[in-house]
Amino acid sequence: MSDTADGMDPAVKQTSAELATGVDTDTILQTEGLTKRFGGLTAIDDVDFGVEAGELRCLIGPNGAGKSTLLNLVTGALSPSEGEVYFEGHEITGLDPHERIRHGLSIKFQVPSVYEDLTVRENVRLPIQRLAAGSERDERMADALSASGLSAKADVTASALSHGEQQQLEIGMAASLDPDLLLLDEPVAGLSVDERTEIADRITQLNAERDIAFVVIEHDTDFVAEIADHITVLHQGETFREGSIEEIEADPEVQRIYLGGETDA
Amino acid sequence: MGVESDDTATRGPLGRLAAALHGPNTMGNSRRFWYLFGVVVLLFVFFPLYMLPSAVTNMSQYLSLVLLALSLAVVWGYTGVLSFGQVAFFGVAGYTYGIVAINVTGPLGTIAGLVVAVGIAALFAAILGYFMFYGGVSDVYVTILTLVVVLVLKTFLDQTAGDEWTIGEAALGGFNGMPGIPDLALGIGEPFLVFNDTVLFYAALLAVLVTYLGLRALLNSDYGRVMVAVREDEDRTEMLGYDVKRVKLTVFTFGGALAGLSGVLYVTYFNYISPSELSLTAASLPVIWVAVGGRKTLLGPIVATIFIERLGLFLSVNVGDWAFVINGLLLLVIVLLLPEGLLPGLRDLVSWIGDRRGDSDTDDTTDPTGEVIE
Amino acid sequence: MAIGLDLLVQFFPNFASIVLAATGLAIIFGIMGVINLAHGEFIMVGAFSTSLAYNGGIPFLPIDALPGLSRLIGAMLFAALVTALFGLLVERTIISGAVPNWISERTLGRPVVTPLYDRLLDSMVATWGLSLIMVQTFRNVFGNSLSGVPIPFGELSYGNSSIGLYQVLLAGVAAFVLIALYLVFVRTDYGMRARATIQNESMAQSLGVNTERTYMATFALGSGLAGLTGALYTPLLSIEPGLGSVFLVDAFVAVVVGGSSVVVGTLLSGGLLGIVDTLFSNVYGTFAGRIALLIVAIVLIRFIPQGLSSLVERLRERRLEVD
Repeated sequence: MSDTADGMDPAVKQTSAELATGVDTDTILQTEGLTKRFGGLTAIDDVDFGVEAGELRCLIGPNGAGKSTLLNLVTGALSPSEGEVYFEGHEITGLDPHERIRHGLSIKFQVPSVYEDLTVRENVRLPIQRLAAGSERDERMADALSASGLSAKADVTASALSHGEQQQLEIGMAASLDPDLLLLDEPVAGLSVDERTEIADRITQLNAERDIAFVVIEHDTDFVAEIADHITVLHQGETFREGSIEEIEADPEVQRIYLGGETDA
Repeated sequence: MGVESDDTATRGPLGRLAAALHGPNTMGNSRRFWYLFGVVVLLFVFFPLYMLPSAVTNMSQYLSLVLLALSLAVVWGYTGVLSFGQVAFFGVAGYTYGIVAINVTGPLGTIAGLVVAVGIAALFAAILGYFMFYGGVSDVYVTILTLVVVLVLKTFLDQTAGDEWTIGEAALGGFNGMPGIPDLALGIGEPFLVFNDTVLFYAALLAVLVTYLGLRALLNSDYGRVMVAVREDEDRTEMLGYDVKRVKLTVFTFGGALAGLSGVLYVTYFNYISPSELSLTAASLPVIWVAVGGRKTLLGPIVATIFIERLGLFLSVNVGDWAFVINGLLLLVIVLLLPEGLLPGLRDLVSWIGDRRGDSDTDDTTDPTGEVIE
Repeated sequence: MAIGLDLLVQFFPNFASIVLAATGLAIIFGIMGVINLAHGEFIMVGAFSTSLAYNGGIPFLPIDALPGLSRLIGAMLFAALVTALFGLLVERTIISGAVPNWISERTLGRPVVTPLYDRLLDSMVATWGLSLIMVQTFRNVFGNSLSGVPIPFGELSYGNSSIGLYQVLLAGVAAFVLIALYLVFVRTDYGMRARATIQNESMAQSLGVNTERTYMATFALGSGLAGLTGALYTPLLSIEPGLGSVFLVDAFVAVVVGGSSVVVGTLLSGGLLGIVDTLFSNVYGTFAGRIALLIVAIVLIRFIPQGLSSLVERLRERRLEVD
């Protein structure tokens, strides 16, 4: 996290502004009373989840807490049973996923979803071809390839890539849409320590240089500590805690929900 | 892949044409392919000179059916929607053409029939497509729905035998169908070009060529890549900002129009149409042609249609009762052993043989990783 | 009141034909994820076997020598058995590819066929091929028709009209088949294994369920039911190789409309579609009845793609929630 001109940590500065006025500045994403039921199971229960522009938010919680479901509700892959979703001030609850994407949302799925039978270059072309033509397209494709570290493998079929490379590719594709908010569902699952560092650097770079807000679902606490501005803990479909990494790590209730014990919350 | 980068400014018109027709979504990107293609086209062009008239008229029938096969190839192979309903659009167009051409005499009537028939087929496809895709019906149920729609149409047409089922001069005719459908013709008042025999052959050949080249250009364009992306992973494609429902609807409508054109040409050949064109067997034929030929290619279905139909004729003349058994066996064997179809299977065989001989120069020389599309 | 009785009486055979035709297909679809488009031909095998057995066409099996009703019942049971065995053969060669793979392992060193389980579209195309083969082969071997079988039991009069008692009884048979299936699924080992496999195949395998044997048994059961349907309808039909296609349409539509639960789904769709067909046939004639049935099916598939049985599931869950 880089310092601002007056030497203050921008994340802290935002929080101060919030505390001072009690009003959210530049809220890019806000859910209100979001609820999702599957038959008898309530996966997401009355969730008010908000993200600031340019913020790097991590979403953590035990398995089955509803993290992916929440992301799917934001993208529109799932429709809520109750509640609304707002993006950059507009309500997007009724919009189709592709419309939300065009508003500036983007997602990398939990299971890496690249086009297995297409080459890396053709994969990268798909998001970009809608947005640019001619030489601009070539440039953006080249940029996306080099940012993913896959320029040398541009003509390799995506199925031949390693798991880590596929993650990089999909993140690159999602980022090439130039979104305002990028949702990453487990970007480092199954990756080595070095690969995790690469991805962490990539994320913080995109966040700083292109001012993209992030919501990252992850389990690796070191990874989360490295990248997060703020953390939201989800448990049994509800927002359990929110705060900085230090606050969350110090909270015994959070430890307990991971270990499966009873809580007072 | 030299054709990938867009240095269009430095390329002449031929180069731009080549760029439009080449890409990962179709087979045959090398010069050798185009030479071969040219030879085949010439063989077809001179077909009437060295074949019997009966062979020529048979071939014009097969060429009309190729359009039907291509309509399914586009919808199934390139957007992932298996439609059993292409014959519905084929049949609707055939009947519509018959009704218009019988009622409006003269060549203008037949032209009007062609336009209205294709238009109605497209409209029907659009309505059905909207109903299915915008209703969020998943792919398997789309297949089932298209099959049921064909059944409904067939059942309906079967019982149109009475006099009340006559539109103007054209009686729908129930089981027995509608005879006396005039040939498609050009002219005003007096026809100066009637589409039968050799003329129909060249018309069908031209239609197939234009459609094939047009589809090649479409499939290798940006839109074609989106179509393939929809086939491969709908959700991912939606999340890249593409309106997947609209893509499916558009392609499905186009497929309906193409099937309709096929229907009109076919009806012009026989001057007759009946509900048997909408039977379960008829509905399965395009699926057989495309599955056997290779559903993710264009050439495969073209070759397979002509081959299977010609084989069917040969079998029914010589072996009579076993024609459908052979058809069925063919389908079974292809699906079980070569699920990608005959042509891709052959292509894989060719490159496998090439690899075995240590020969790197097989078919496509421009792409270092070989054909991307299966 | 007379119309009501009319409709009710006509409903029974319609209900029966849909349910009987559908159950075999539903089992195979629900448990194995295979759509058997040759289902109509399996029914045809049942009808042909019944006719042949009844009329003394089967060597070494003098069923035609049995007295009275047992002759018909004997022929029908024989037919169901034959069809089940045939289904087993089909499962081993085409559906699972076990036989071709066994051969290719020993010649080429690798399997050549991927099983058709859960490959809905491929199974449709493959079984369609099988269907073409079967119809034409039967036509070539047995000709265009076989001698029929007399309808047992005579007429049942009601009000001003009458109907064959046999047709009405078939509704009872259909209900009996559904009940028997329910018991099989709930009370037998096989039933439990089958349900486990529907839920989660890999889980079932890791729990030691021999899914391969479950699939074999399932396909044989589904085929046997198809054969039984063909057998039961032999007295009512002209025995020709194409007789399967009407059944296929009804079965197919009913299975899709019914949804994943074999018993509940078939019961509901048989009932609903049977009612629609009966109503429209009564007023506008048989064609109208069929068209109405198909159109209602289209609407139901579009708006309730998970099938009618999924509505039942949702109702059940909602009641659980309230508690």
